[in-house]
Amino acid sequence: MGETQQIRTSCRGCHGGCGVIAHVKDGRVTKVEGDRQAPIGRGTMCSKGLAVLQLSYHPDRILYPMEKTDSGWERISWDQALNTIANRFRGVVEEHGPESIVVGQGTGRDYESFLYRFANLLGTPNVLTAGHMCYVSRVGATLITCGNLPVSDFEGGPKCMVVWANNPLWTNPDEYKGVDFWAAYQKGTRLIVIDPREGFLAKRAELWLQLRPGTDAALALGFLNVILEEGLYDEEFVERYVHGWEAFVDRVEEYPLGKVEEITWVDKGLIREAARVYATTKPACIQWGVPIEQTINCTDSNRLLTALMAITGNLDAPGGNVFFVPPPVRTVSEFGLHRELPAEQRAKRLGGDQYKLASRVALVTPKAVWDAILTGEPYPVVAGLLCGTNPVVTRANAKEVHAALSKLEFLAVIDFFLTPTAELADIFLPAATWLEQDYVGDFWKRHGYVMARQKVVEIGECWQDHKIFQELGKRMGQEEYWWDTLEDALNYMLEPSGMDFQEFAKRGHLKGEMSYRKYEEKGFSTPTGKVELYSTLLEKWGYDPLPQYREIPESPVSRPDLVKRYPYILNAGLRTPVFFHSEHRAIPWLREIRPDPLMEIHPETAKRHGIEDGQWAYIDSPRGRIKQRVRLNRGIDPRVVVAEHGWWYPEAEGPGHGWDVSNVNVLTDNDPAGYDPAMGSTNLRVLLCAISPCLDE
Amino acid sequence: MDRVALLVMSEDCMGCHACEVACKQEHGLDAGPRLIQVVERAPLFVPLYCHHCSRPPCKDACPVDAISRDDRGIVLIDEEACIGCLACIEACPFGATQFYEERNVAVKCDLCRERLLDGGEPACAKACPTRCIVWGGVKSISQRVARRAAARQLMT
Repeated sequence: MGETQQIRTSCRGCHGGCGVIAHVKDGRVTKVEGDRQAPIGRGTMCSKGLAVLQLSYHPDRILYPMEKTDSGWERISWDQALNTIANRFRGVVEEHGPESIVVGQGTGRDYESFLYRFANLLGTPNVLTAGHMCYVSRVGATLITCGNLPVSDFEGGPKCMVVWANNPLWTNPDEYKGVDFWAAYQKGTRLIVIDPREGFLAKRAELWLQLRPGTDAALALGFLNVILEEGLYDEEFVERYVHGWEAFVDRVEEYPLGKVEEITWVDKGLIREAARVYATTKPACIQWGVPIEQTINCTDSNRLLTALMAITGNLDAPGGNVFFVPPPVRTVSEFGLHRELPAEQRAKRLGGDQYKLASRVALVTPKAVWDAILTGEPYPVVAGLLCGTNPVVTRANAKEVHAALSKLEFLAVIDFFLTPTAELADIFLPAATWLEQDYVGDFWKRHGYVMARQKVVEIGECWQDHKIFQELGKRMGQEEYWWDTLEDALNYMLEPSGMDFQEFAKRGHLKGEMSYRKYEEKGFSTPTGKVELYSTLLEKWGYDPLPQYREIPESPVSRPDLVKRYPYILNAGLRTPVFFHSEHRAIPWLREIRPDPLMEIHPETAKRHGIEDGQWAYIDSPRGRIKQRVRLNRGIDPRVVVAEHGWWYPEAEGPGHGWDVSNVNVLTDNDPAGYDPAMGSTNLRVLLCAISPCLDE
Repeated sequence: MDRVALLVMSEDCMGCHACEVACKQEHGLDAGPRLIQVVERAPLFVPLYCHHCSRPPCKDACPVDAISRDDRGIVLIDEEACIGCLACIEACPFGATQFYEERNVAVKCDLCRERLLDGGEPACAKACPTRCIVWGGVKSISQRVARRAAARQLMT
């Protein structure tokens, strides 16, 4: 028996980042715990990270490459697997062109740099990520507005925090973890919570604004209206650093508080009070969540929040919303080799002409891909490579997603388990968990750090995603762009810092040298050098240059014809603290905590339908029906039904594993009429539904 | 030796369940027994855990004296002696004593005794992002709780 070794690394149970000490004995990880020295997590860990032993050593985890044959899945070698993919892809390139291969990933898990490098060198502009409605959409919207993503500066000492459609204590708002938010809160900040649901933070908040789901942009316009009317903005900042002020003011005035109250269901007095508290308590930050990005108002909601930060003088001010300075390492964009994608290939990006902001940040809206697969228009997409993504469960209109992926001539999937999406593949490539990889963690984030992720063990024949892209790339004629070893690639990433991966790993993390109000010297990185409340780029691309509120395409307001049959607003995508999107349902420690998908309804609503707490109930939308278990919650509006996302049943018979039983995306719609016009963001959040008790359970 | 205890300030529990998984990992437990557990009653969270009572009802209920209280006040079950009769489970007012079906014994929180001996803190307390799990000498806990309450009153 060997000694227990302790190795410092960083988690990737969600997007990742928290510092971890892994205990290893005889080549096996025996325990993980938080690293108190780490700037992210600060010694704490969440349930998902702490359950990594049950993920890594799970009996159902696939530990070697497999090929689907007539008699089922069969084990093959890495050489066979990669050569098969390379051969099939070469065939597609010859017959149709590289654009007929879709390369995709799920949410940001630190492999985008390698994935984009591979896709750009392959020559396909069709990279499918969650970015059109999650994070990249806020990066894109803020890039064109103020040149960078403004991130809450919890350490900078905010005196007021607005938590807008977010639960930073349960979920990972990309840049920061709940522990920093909580530390700021404990110092005595004022707290405003904007949420259709009364959660832990709403209960504590000084002001809780319970809005109609999906109306965030209108509420933000209401805030702006108060701030303009009462002169609560920073005149000097506006004078010097805002482009398009007068036009913006005119637009905001189109949303008087009475109108905003009608749209949002929030009392106008409360809106006025909240806007005053935010605008007059300095510094103040806005911590916003992904729901506002998953509607037709994605870009404008992001732009409106940026406007609030800017005109109150909170942009890049300590304790406000700031532009963290990255550590001196290569950027994801440089590593991803976007410049290597030839212009004629870029021009072929599916939906690129229509969703120009999405195209600007190098991604496509999913339906453009499903359509190309299913109809061959504007050209056929016939093959795919998907990494760490389960679109059958996580993308809108799951039935269409399932049909499209089933129709691909060839699909390879990189994952830990045979998910409902992986079951549709021809080749399965086993991915390494974060315990089995070396990486420059949090490379893509904008919080000013990179975290050393160190390989602690090797399990089976699993490879880390980065190595898969590198080795596949070499087989696709990209040899000169890749390295002999993964470590060489990481050294290249780290080169500007003057250290190699070994030294970086010893150090644990790197931090950028932070400075505030950088605009005073450099202006903002936008075409006018100012905060573009009137966007010159949106104007150039043919969109409304000023933010507006668009009614949710399937709401009681826009579709009164549907209300009789579907009387409730479904607020889809409630998060759980123990699962990350569609992941982790197979982990016993986590599933024990949340065995069933939960939908929440108000007790009055339940009574009307004869539904009891804990009973299974159906949710119907114009697209289909699912069932979830009911939890009564007085903290939601009786007109609203809340449902969890990401559900499938790993324990259910394959290949479907119950993907259509409780999956909220069976209900969601992906009709382009409901997309954000510039970003192509799908409406994953707000639709109409009916409920009924499930009598056969 | 100073008596130690653990207290969850339920007001600050935001229902992330990290403590539960940290505990499972530390004690090598499978799904089943939950030595610390957060029950959700949306939007409230109710932590259930062992209070290491000074007159433990579980100890009194045990017919074979398998439950003891050590000199630091930690209430422990001797698994070798336990006959799996469930009497302690019925007796505990906090639902903190759990039945471990695989081993056919009762199990409960040991305050991460081993970790404390190494100068560490209980696994659940370490994982908690809101630091709502406080532990330490009994006197110091009550002082800390009082300070926290005072700080909160000053804030509002």
